[in-house]
Formats: sequence, structure tokens, C-alpha cells
Amino acid sequence: MNPIPALRFVVRVALQNIVRNRGIAFASLLTVTLTLLGAGAAVAVVSALDGVLHQEETQASVLKVFMADHVSYASILNLQYNLSSEPSVLKASFENKDQAAKQAASGLGLGNALKILQQTGGGNPLPASINLHLRNIGAVSAINNQVSTSPLLYPGPHPTDYNKDVIPRLERYIFAAQLGGAIMVAVVGAVALVIITISVRTAAFVRRQEIEIMKLVGATDWFVRWPFLIEGVIVGVLSALLASAVLVGIGLLFGSGGNLALGIGLRFAGLVVLGLIAGGAVLGSFGSFVGIRRSLAT
Amino acid sequence: MSISTSPAPPRTVTQATGNGPPVRHDPPIIVFENVSKTYGNGAPAVQDVSFTVRPRDFVFVVGASGAGKSTIIRLLIREETASKGHVIVEGQDLARLRHRHLPRLRRKMGIVFQDFKLLPNLTVAQNVAFAIQVTDPGRSHLKEKVGEALYIVGLEDKLNNFPTELSGGEQQRVAIARALIHRPRIFLADEPTGNLDPDAGWGIVQLLLQINHRGATVVMATHNREVVDLSRRRVLAMEGGQLIRDEQEGQYLKEGEAIL
Ligand SMILES: Nc1ncnc2c1ncn2[C@@H]1O[C@H](COP(=O)(O)OP(=O)(O)OP(=O)(O)O)[C@@H](O)[C@H]1O
Ligand SMILES: [Mg+2]
Repeated sequence: MNPIPALRFVVRVALQNIVRNRGIAFASLLTVTLTLLGAGAAVAVVSALDGVLHQEETQASVLKVFMADHVSYASILNLQYNLSSEPSVLKASFENKDQAAKQAASGLGLGNALKILQQTGGGNPLPASINLHLRNIGAVSAINNQVSTSPLLYPGPHPTDYNKDVIPRLERYIFAAQLGGAIMVAVVGAVALVIITISVRTAAFVRRQEIEIMKLVGATDWFVRWPFLIEGVIVGVLSALLASAVLVGIGLLFGSGGNLALGIGLRFAGLVVLGLIAGGAVLGSFGSFVGIRRSLAT
Repeated sequence: MSISTSPAPPRTVTQATGNGPPVRHDPPIIVFENVSKTYGNGAPAVQDVSFTVRPRDFVFVVGASGAGKSTIIRLLIREETASKGHVIVEGQDLARLRHRHLPRLRRKMGIVFQDFKLLPNLTVAQNVAFAIQVTDPGRSHLKEKVGEALYIVGLEDKLNNFPTELSGGEQQRVAIARALIHRPRIFLADEPTGNLDPDAGWGIVQLLLQINHRGATVVMATHNREVVDLSRRRVLAMEGGQLIRDEQEGQYLKEGEAIL
């Protein structure tokens, strides 16, 4: 079979399908655009949320290892060095007693209490600490177990400090956000698929006489199928472009400083657009494939 | 698979007849072997039908409405498959024909129906060309081939008319031209005169006889009594799904048969 006239025929029929059935084609374009918009927005929101949560996550993964007061500076440096060479440790910094006091004073309403304690010769009750920034939340308990038995540590029930509670909570948030996004994308994808299928089935119904004749004179199934697949792909890609234009437009409107809204980078936005186009093409061709199947049954 | 040591039997057998020279018999082009067809769970539409058609035969399939004529045509183009028995076309058992080889079968056949099946938004020439465009796009000399087919059916001057601008007989001629474009060895017609007045119908039958004369095997399902009786060709008579008569130079009705 000569590909060029075949291609011409296929594209011509696909375009005719769209023009002749412009009502349903427009409806499917619109609904597929809306569903892709939903999918794109969901991806953007999940990504932005993921970014925020990731930030929270790095903050939450700070582990304070409190030092006993008698420990020499050399042993502290040695421990700090050892901890900083752990693969899960991003940064290990030393915070001495004065800094601890200052930190506490700035953060909480304890300033006055501390001042009074120091002025009355009570000294500084806050211990020095090595503050560990960990690569991820999961490493916190492992490092904690590793250091908590060291004789250098502050005696008492809490030789280390991290917010045990915030970690699983954050993990649950991230999981919920991803799951919600995935479900939303799946649902809107299914809706788009059904709409394209209906639209192609309508086009095939309008052309049923033509399909009947094609089969009678010996056209192959693929030759019957191609125009409808191309029609689906055209609708899918046009919808993706429309949805992308709307999303990027909104992003630009509310964005600032080289980023789109929600702090989304241009690179990521480009990937989302490519993803929507690919998604539209896949939805379109798959929907068409299903839509035309019944017409090819006999 | 066994390896044959003797040469294959000849494809053509020569048979001596009682008087006159021996008659050459080509192997059959169509074989129905105890074919039954039941749609869904109803009564059989075709029941235990056996016949053979040789190349260049012209066969009428006659019978009352519901006798099973169209079913025989649909079995031949494998729009339906036999529930029992074998339908064999050019040596190929259609039950074993894979779906993807169906186009090859259909391209060997020309098919026309009572309702012409022309595309109303295409001209006469475009309707005929359509059969090539969707099977062999890019085939060279498309215009010449379309012109030739339309010349055979006598419509070379209606190239640019639309089907609605033609009479019924002319529309059926366009359908025949489209069916001829692949130069089919088998030509099937299901009630081709059903929508036509007697004159136009007779013209179509003349055309089919001419196509047969050019070498195609023709099977025509009809309940047009006049046409059958005038043509004096082979008749397969169906009744209630059964083949009740197979007669060379037959008549539509035989003495004693009920009015079909
Ligand atoms: N698709 C189908 N589903 C169920 N039954 C069918 C179907 N097609 C035909 N039949 C039945 O099979 C029988 C034979 O039908 P067929 O169309 O072969 O008859 P016919 O001889 O062509 O009749 P007509 O002269 O009216 O065209 C009829 O009883 C018919 O009702
Ligand atoms: Mg019939």
C-alpha cells in the first residue's frame, strides 16, 4: 500500500469527521479540555503541596543531640565529625549553651525567666547540643537509637529531641495528597475516555454506510480504523493545548519572579504541558479504538 | 505433514459424456457442503444445503421471502459463518479463513444489493473510485480504471452526476461498476432488480449476463420470475431454508411447486 495517498485519505476523512460532526466534536473537545484542565490543575496542586510538605519535612527532620555539661569541646567536635559523616546526615552543627539560651529566649516567653536565673547565679540550665539536619524523616529514629546511649549525652529521660508526632502526620499528609491527586487524575481520565469514545462512536454511526461499503469492497480493519484514531488524536491534542494555555495563563497571572503561581517552575510547567499533550493523544486514540470496535465486529 | 511421492492429481478433470466430445470440468469455484445456518436460537435459515458452482457458471438462487437466499450470499462473503457444514470458495474453507484475511476474499468478489449502497455525497466516478481508494490507495491509472468500469455499465457520460440525479437502474449500474473495479472472479447479487421496474431490472440482468460472459462466475438471488424464466440459466430453488431443486436451464417454478 502506498503510504502517501493512504495518509491523505485518512487525514481527510478525520478532518471531515470533525467538521461534519462539529457539534459532538466541539462538545468532546470542550469536555476533554475540562478534564485535562482538572488533571493539569491536580498535578500542579499536588506538586506545589509536595514542595511545601518537603520543606516541612526537612524542618521536621532536625534532631537535637543534647550534650552533658562536663563534656570537653574536643569530644563534642569528635562526635560532631562522626555524625556528619553519616550518609543520612545532611549537616551537623554545634549549638553552645549561650546560643541555646538566646534561641529559647527569642522563640518562647522564657527570656525573662532565663535572665533572672543567670542574674541570681543560677547559671544557664539549657544544655549545648549538636543539631543534625537529616536527609529524610525516616532516618531520624535510626540516628536517635545510635546516639542515645553515648556517655557524652545529657543525662536524663530526654537525651535527644525531635518532634515524634509531626513525622507520621506529615507522611500521612503527603500520602493523602498524592492519593487524592492520583484518584482525581484517574477519574477525569476515565470521563475523558468515555466522552471521546461516545464522540467517535457517533462519527462511526454517521459513517456507517461508508464503513459497510469499505468492508464489502475489502478494506482492512486498520484502514477503516485509522481516520477515527486520527480524529481522536486531533481532538485529544487540541484539548491538551487549550487546557495548557488556560493553565499557563492562570499560572502567569498569579505568578511572580520567574515562577508561575504556587511557586511552580517553568521547566516543570513545560513538562506538565508535554504530559497533557501526550495524555490527550493517548486518551484520544484509545477512546477511538474502543469507539470504533463495534463497527468492525462483523 | 506427509511427503507425497506421487504427483498431485490434476486440477482439471476431463469427463466423457454419453454422446459428443468430452466436456472439460474445472474444479468448482464455490462449494456448499451440507451447510446449515441458524441465527441466534431460531429455526435454521439454511438447512443442510449442498451444491457446487463451477467457474463461469451463472446461477439464480430463487425462493419465497425468508427462504434463505440472502443467507447464502452472506455466507459466501463471510458476513456470516456456517453453523454446520462447509462453505468453500476457490478451495478455501471460509470457516477457517482468519479475520485478517477477509479483505483478500472480499477483493476477489464483486457484490451488489437491492439498495445499491452508493454514497450520496460522492459523484458517480468518486463512488466507483472509492473501492480502490480504500483498498489500494495510490494505485496508478485510477481515472482510466474508473472510466473503463463505467463504460462497461454504459454510464461513461454520467461521471460527475450524484446518485440522486440518476434513475434506480442507473444507480444499480454504478454499484455494479464499483463491484467490477477489482476485476472480481466471483460476482454476487442479492435481489439486484428488487427496487427496479421490469425494464430497468431486465437491463441489469443483461449486464450481469455480460459480466458472466466476460469470465466471472455469477450468483444472483432473486424472486423476479420473469427474469429467471427468460434467462434459461441454472436455478437453485430454496424453500424454508432447504434446497429443493438444482436445475440447469431452469425455470422459476416447476410444475407442482407451490407459488413461491
Ligand atoms: N440477522 C438475522 N437474525 C435472525 N434471523 C435472521 C437474520 N437474517 C435472516 N434471518 C431469518 O432467516 C431466514 C432466512 O432469511 P433470508 O434473509 O436469508 O431470506 P431471503 O430468502 O433472503 O428473504 P427475502 O426474499 O425476503 O430477502 C428468515 O426466516 C429470516 O427471518
Ligand atoms: Mg433476501
